[in-house]
Formats: sequence, C-alpha cells, structure tokens
Amino acid sequence: MRIEEFKIGQEILYSGKLIVMRDQAHKRLKDMVEKGEELPVDLMGAVVFYAGPAKTPPGRPIGAIGPTTSARMDDYLEMLFRLGVIATVGKGKRTGKAIEACKKWKRVYFVAPSGTAAALAKRVKRARLIAFEDLGPEAIYELEVEDFPLLVAIDSLGNSVFGE
Amino acid sequence: MIQRRVVLDKLKEELVKANVRLNEEVKRIVAEYEGPFSDVIKENYIISEKECLPLCQDTGILEFFVFLGHEVVLEEPIEKTLNSAVEEVYVAYPFRYSIVSDPVFERVNTHNNTPVVVHVFQVEGKKLEIRFLVKGGGSENLSTLHMMNPSAGASEIKDFVVEFVKEHGAKACPPLHIGVGIGGTADKALVLSKLALTKDFSERHPDPRYAELEEEILRTVNLLGIGYQGLGHGITAYSVHVEHFPTHIATLPVAVSVDCYLCRKGKIVFED
Repeated sequence: MRIEEFKIGQEILYSGKLIVMRDQAHKRLKDMVEKGEELPVDLMGAVVFYAGPAKTPPGRPIGAIGPTTSARMDDYLEMLFRLGVIATVGKGKRTGKAIEACKKWKRVYFVAPSGTAAALAKRVKRARLIAFEDLGPEAIYELEVEDFPLLVAIDSLGNSVFGE
Repeated sequence: MIQRRVVLDKLKEELVKANVRLNEEVKRIVAEYEGPFSDVIKENYIISEKECLPLCQDTGILEFFVFLGHEVVLEEPIEKTLNSAVEEVYVAYPFRYSIVSDPVFERVNTHNNTPVVVHVFQVEGKKLEIRFLVKGGGSENLSTLHMMNPSAGASEIKDFVVEFVKEHGAKACPPLHIGVGIGGTADKALVLSKLALTKDFSERHPDPRYAELEEEILRTVNLLGIGYQGLGHGITAYSVHVEHFPTHIATLPVAVSVDCYLCRKGKIVFED
C-alpha cells in the first residue's frame, strides 16, 4: 500500500521492519548530521518507532515494548524525513509543526496502542541492536514485527485524528 | 521494631504486582471498553500476568508516600529500605531502568531504577503506612502548577483543570486518574496532587463540597470525549481526587497530576 493512500482513523496490522529510536538517539543523530558525520543507521525508506524497550527476558527477542510520547520528537521530524523516513509510530497528539511536516513531505504518523507492552512484545519476531548501546533503553534497534496494530493518526494530507 | 526484612519482602511483592498485574478497579472498567485497540488492551493484561512481563515498557520512576507513626522504630532510614526494594525488583525482573543520574548533563542510566522519590509524613501511633506510585514519564510530564488568584472559587479551579486536560490529556495514555492538590505552598500542592493518585477510584472526599468538586471535574472532563488512547472512544477519566491544605491569604496554589490508564500503585501497612 502506498503511503498517500492511508487515511486517518484507519487501523492496520503491520508486518515488516521498524527502527526503534527516541529522545537521546535523535539528539545524537542531529549532532552527527550537523557535523556531516556518517550515520550509524540507514533511514532510507524506514518506519521509525518511538520506543524504549524494557529488559529482554531469557529466550525472547525483546522485552516489553510500546510507544512513547511522539510530541517530544516533533522538533526532529523534518530531519527524519530528509533522511528518508516514510512513517513514524508513537503515541499521542503531535504539534502543528509535525502535522505540517507530514503534509509537506507526504508522510504519515501512526499511533500504536500505549500501555500494552506485553502484548506488543509478542508481535516482535526478531530484534537487533543497531547503534548507541551505551544509551540502554534509548539505543537504536531494528525490529521485525508481525501483525503489529497501528492506527493512522496523521495522513499525508495533514489530517489529524486528534484534530488541530 | 519493624524489621527491615519484613518491609523489604512485602514491598518487593507489591512492586512486582503493580507492574505485572492490572489493578482490579481498572480491570473492571477496561474490560467494558470497545473501540480502537480494545483487543490488544485486553490481551495485554492477560499476557503480562501470565508471563510476568510488565504491563507497560515504562516501568516508571517510583514515588513513595510514607506515613510514619511516631512510636515506630526502624532498623535503617526508610528511604534506604525503599531504594533497596526497588533495586532488587528491577534488577531481577524484565522491567526497564528508566532513571538517569544527572538530569541535565550526563543523563547516564543508573541501571537499577533508583533513586526513588520519597515523601515522609510523621503521624501519631505505631503504624507504618507506605503508598507508592509507579509513575511513567508520559503521565509525569503532565504535572502542572498554577498559582491562582486567591479570590478564585471552585468553578475557576474546575475550569483550570478541565482546560488543562483538554489541551494535554491525550498525551498521557487516557483514561486518566486525576489528582488535584489545592492550597499550602507551591510544592505542597504538587505533593498533595500526587498523594491524591494513591486513592481508590471509589473513595470520595469526606467534605461534601470537595466531593462535589471531584465529581463535577470528572463529569466535565468526561464530556471532552478524549477517550482511550486519545482516540475519542470511551471515557476520558476514571476518577478525580482532591487533597487540600490551609494556605496564605495571598495565595491559592492549584496543582494537577495525572496517572495513565494502568494506574500502577500500591499500599501497605505495618504495625510496630
């Protein structure tokens, strides 16, 4: 399905890859971009998931995981789109700035159910640490998920399920 | 003397329970929800309890309210016992270490989810009561304080709380538990707003005027239509609790704190 076809309120089950990153990883990437350094992660065509997992129990690919508040990452959204990110996943309402960025770049924002980290962990088939291991739960991971529940919260026309 | 071991063991048990078992009041309400993500929300508390996985990946900063009877003798400062309990639980279970050592500069993870935040209130008697909140960052970021004009009345206070929830409520994983602290000083009002979150939903303020304020705020907040996950379906808040304290003639501090839909908390009483 093409990104432009998603409409707000639409629920999907996503199977594929997610790049997990949140506050501190965004801050570091921004520094690296500004200094012209090579980034430790390829974001071309990526779906970024704002999250920080709990510890991984033995025998599982990852621990409890779920979305964190997306609005905290709004100042970094344009940077992600410039680096090739096609969609972001998080929780909650975003600022007007994020809505404008989605409209301008024709990108979408999904929400995943918050406070359901045990159930979401079951839908993660594989997980791999990509960068910034020292950040612990704030490191960058790549997940492979199956039937991951998402709802279109901002579509590529700049409509938001949360209103203005 | 209340033995350290006794407090530690009971507290550890309650900390695990708060993180992996949805509290019964919440469960009864959530079980009725039909709307976006309702299946995952209901599946979550079954899996977390069965597999001892946390209900939410954000296993919080721990905030304790200790009511320490003046006749109680402890083996060590209570703060030390509380920190030990949290460290032992968070290291042993698949929870998340969410605490960083320095808030501005290093922000290095402490790798044991301590230190905890402790408020001690000295009371009469031989009982030690410990209440706690497992406070996620998303809901904590909504905490706010408004130094209102002292001539403001109940309806202005209600308007302030409702407007605040209208603007920010969707970010804190609703349905919310709303705590309102009124009076005292700025910091006192904030602590009271947190203390209010340790109450059961069904408790009402003993003073009928404050009970009415609680009910009126709840009724109005639930007309906002924010709903589960902020997606417009179901209730916006479970309950509102008000705690108040005398204040200065020139002030009227009003603080608001909220808890997310999981309302992870505990209450334990020991007797010396």
